[in-house]
Amino acid sequence: MSQAPLIQSAGDANEPRHVKRRTPLAVRGEPMLWLTGMALTACIFMIVALLGIVLWNGFATFWPRDIHEVKLDNGSVFLGVPTREESYDPGPARLADIRAESETLPAGSLDDKGLPKRRLYRVGNKEVTGQPFQWVDLMDIESIEEPKDVVLLERTEWGIWLGTPETILLKEERFIPATADGGIPLEGMTQTKWGERRFEREILESTDEGARVIERTYVAETGPDVWELLPEMHRDADKRRARIKSLNKHDVGFINMKMERARLAFREVQLQHEDGKVSDERLAAARATFEEKQETLEAEYEELLEEIRELERIDDRYRIVVRDPTSGAFAPRAQTEPDEPMRLSQIVRVVRANDLGVGGRLGVYFSRWWEFVSEEPREANTEGGVFPVIFGTVMLTILLSIIVVPFGVIAALYLREYAKQGLIISMVRIAINNLAGVPSIVYGVFGLGFFCYTLGNYIDNGPTNPWSPGMWWVGSVGTVVILLCAAVIGALGRPTPGQPPTRRNKILGGAAMMLWLGTLGLFIALIAKSPFFDGFFPARTTFGTKGILWSALTLALLTLPVVVVATEEAISSVPGSQREGSYGCGASKWQTIRRIVLPSAMPGIMTGMILAIARGAGEVAPLMLVGAVKLAPELPFEPYFPYFHLERSFMHLGFHIYDVGFQSPDSEAARPVVWTTTFLLIVVVVTLNLAAIAFRARLRKRTRGGAF
Amino acid sequence: MTRTETSTAPTMDEQTHTSEAESAVKTRRVEMQSRDAQPAPDPSEFAVIDAIRRGETVPATIHDAVEDEPHVLNVQNFRLWYGAAQALFDLNMNIPRGKVTALIGPSGCGKSTFLRSINRLNDLIPSVRTDGELLLNGEPVYAPDVDVIDLRKRMGMVFQKSNPFPMSIYENVVYPLRIDGERRKSVLNEVCEKALRGAAIWDEVKDRLHQPGTGLSGGQQQRICIARAIAAEPEVLLMDEPCSALDPIATLKIEDLISEIGQRYTVVIVTHNMQQAARVSDYTAFMYLGRLVEFGPTAELFQNPKLPETEQYVTGRFG
Repeated sequence: MSQAPLIQSAGDANEPRHVKRRTPLAVRGEPMLWLTGMALTACIFMIVALLGIVLWNGFATFWPRDIHEVKLDNGSVFLGVPTREESYDPGPARLADIRAESETLPAGSLDDKGLPKRRLYRVGNKEVTGQPFQWVDLMDIESIEEPKDVVLLERTEWGIWLGTPETILLKEERFIPATADGGIPLEGMTQTKWGERRFEREILESTDEGARVIERTYVAETGPDVWELLPEMHRDADKRRARIKSLNKHDVGFINMKMERARLAFREVQLQHEDGKVSDERLAAARATFEEKQETLEAEYEELLEEIRELERIDDRYRIVVRDPTSGAFAPRAQTEPDEPMRLSQIVRVVRANDLGVGGRLGVYFSRWWEFVSEEPREANTEGGVFPVIFGTVMLTILLSIIVVPFGVIAALYLREYAKQGLIISMVRIAINNLAGVPSIVYGVFGLGFFCYTLGNYIDNGPTNPWSPGMWWVGSVGTVVILLCAAVIGALGRPTPGQPPTRRNKILGGAAMMLWLGTLGLFIALIAKSPFFDGFFPARTTFGTKGILWSALTLALLTLPVVVVATEEAISSVPGSQREGSYGCGASKWQTIRRIVLPSAMPGIMTGMILAIARGAGEVAPLMLVGAVKLAPELPFEPYFPYFHLERSFMHLGFHIYDVGFQSPDSEAARPVVWTTTFLLIVVVVTLNLAAIAFRARLRKRTRGGAF
Repeated sequence: MTRTETSTAPTMDEQTHTSEAESAVKTRRVEMQSRDAQPAPDPSEFAVIDAIRRGETVPATIHDAVEDEPHVLNVQNFRLWYGAAQALFDLNMNIPRGKVTALIGPSGCGKSTFLRSINRLNDLIPSVRTDGELLLNGEPVYAPDVDVIDLRKRMGMVFQKSNPFPMSIYENVVYPLRIDGERRKSVLNEVCEKALRGAAIWDEVKDRLHQPGTGLSGGQQQRICIARAIAAEPEVLLMDEPCSALDPIATLKIEDLISEIGQRYTVVIVTHNMQQAARVSDYTAFMYLGRLVEFGPTAELFQNPKLPETEQYVTGRFG
């Protein structure tokens, strides 16, 4: 305990002092200590809880769980993956029944309050069950088994399939020439690369020369055989699928791009011809070139298509039968063909959940994570990966910082270094600070209205109603005249160095300023109303719609105040002695700023950038208006010229969370994706921030070290 | 009165120049106080000081020896205001070439203000207004067509608190050349070595030129700043209390250095320390409340001044 200080009572100094036994609590401030400590604890608890819940759910999602074979009291059997359990109130009548027979119910099927418990099973097999999730009352369950041979198939389409793999077969339609005796063997053994295997044939149509048959060769017919061959065959199938996808996407895409370019080049000539700028001969020549190019490209395309068809034919031979015990149906190749077993290549992953040890589960777990971060989404974003989403988010954030940092720093430099501190500058500063408080959706509306529809449309199509050329020239000359006037008046109004400005200086300076503003306005009007500009993309809408560039600009505007404020702070904390030292050496203002102020302020500027990233990367509302989409067909980056397509729309983690969580047709299936995506968003933002912080630390070391 | 002046202070460039604004106000305050309180020992003895306190113009006592020297700076009727407050009154003095001239006087007497007027560093304060002539080697410093940046390049300045820039020692020293656009490595190397040798710090830092000067002592930092000030071969070297933030040993080293530099450059040094003025300077000017009181050879001013006030001041009995 601290000693109670002596408090002198009023009166004669020689009188014995009145000593207080205890200092009041309020004076010692102990309650404040508790209060502040409690507040901090509450904050830490909330942050830890937030991170903990997101991390736990994010991490748990991909862990492979056991598959139950559930036998119900009514004799039906189904396969399912337990998802969660809850108690529920089935209504008074039913509850009374349950309570009446509670003695006979299996243990654990009622909770403490006597309410029945139920469990949600993920049953998959959407083609036969219709709904992939199913609630089961615990009291209805007769027995639960975990058979080793059941598998969970993650399929490219239609979600998961639970069942027992039975056969792997090769199925193809082919022509068999008739043998010498005129018959065609309908059964027999044939040599395959896996050894001697049984085959069956089914004649479709027969002629003298032979017959078209459907031939099924059974590669594996028992569970163990299937298991032995499946991994290797699945790997091959995967490769075929990847190859087909790559051909479809890249090679076909490349030809399409060349085709589109040729078409646009021709269209441009055509448009110029309509305006009378291009002669008929040149139009004809352009048409000929275009047609020729089109022909070669089409030939190339045909060739490619042939290759793809051949690959698909081969791919279609490899089939697997995985049977669902409830309905007896097997996983079909397509929903409309219940008799056709699925292709091997339609399997993304086979998880034999009940037969996996911890190592095997970890393998599945990490392979699912890898798929999640490196693949494209499937099934309305509820399955597959989020690679394009991560890519979009990171690219947007980088783009945003590239735009906002220079802008903010330049603005802050003027505010702090050049502008005369006074009422107007204070108002500007307050306005900038208040920008940070404007609801972000407002920026979204602005971005859509100005960037997308006005600026974007201008870039695409040129001015909507341009001035006539004569008027434009008059305007240009007027602008130049006003510009000259501004320069002359500004020069006349310059105060004598070393002397404070006079009244005349101030008036002339104000006039010059107004003229400068007028020039700027006229200049913008001249660009916006130019009759000589018809847009860069008259043939199609390119920039005049949602896009990553507009999103980055909108977010840059949103985060500008953060950067300006941080930079101003950093600039003003550069010691005046260093500026004076620099001026004393004969440095100009700009040299001082560039060589002394900016390097010293760099860490502070980086802080502003970090804050801007933190705010910008997590923003969703404006992006919904100006760029983020549910499913972007293409990334804003391509491996061929011009690489970056800033006009394209993109996917964003924040918007993805909203979309998957609330706009998805299958909310139960989407729930885990929401958690993992949230987790990823945190990871992306934290990573970007850490990168910036590390960069700042390096800068700081350099300048600190340099600052003696 | 004082209050009205403080209200002009916030209009100045806030961070950089509050100290000057304060000192301007302080000048005034000292004046006011002295007028009200009249703390001088014996009024009849100090005719000049009393006249100055009353705000009268008193011609400065300037020894002939000063006038006989060749001059680098001619100051004629120089006056300076911070807003409405006048800080310098009709200064008339000629600074001898190639000598060390010390400016002494009580706080707020305008020594630093005068020093900063020489390289027009006071221009950075928007409220400063000047009048009168100041000629550097015969060329006016305050003419409208003078390029301030070029003017400052002709002078070097060392400040009260050492202010090395956040860069390597080498870059610090060659800074005046860098801003001049000099890029030739050989020239820069040569200048750097010469300046550092001139500032008597070459041996201490020659192995770590390209490192930031972390770990350099205050005195070493100040010598780096001196090296920077002499790197561009200035016509005048201005020093604003260069030792006031240093310990006695470092002060001694800098004083030796100033004496040495004084043989090659014209040095104008502001100091609070009488002994320092006596040790390093050839000429000394005593200023009081923005006016020059007495200006003469250091030995004479300290041992045999013409005014009793000066004697009282240099012996520490007044001021």
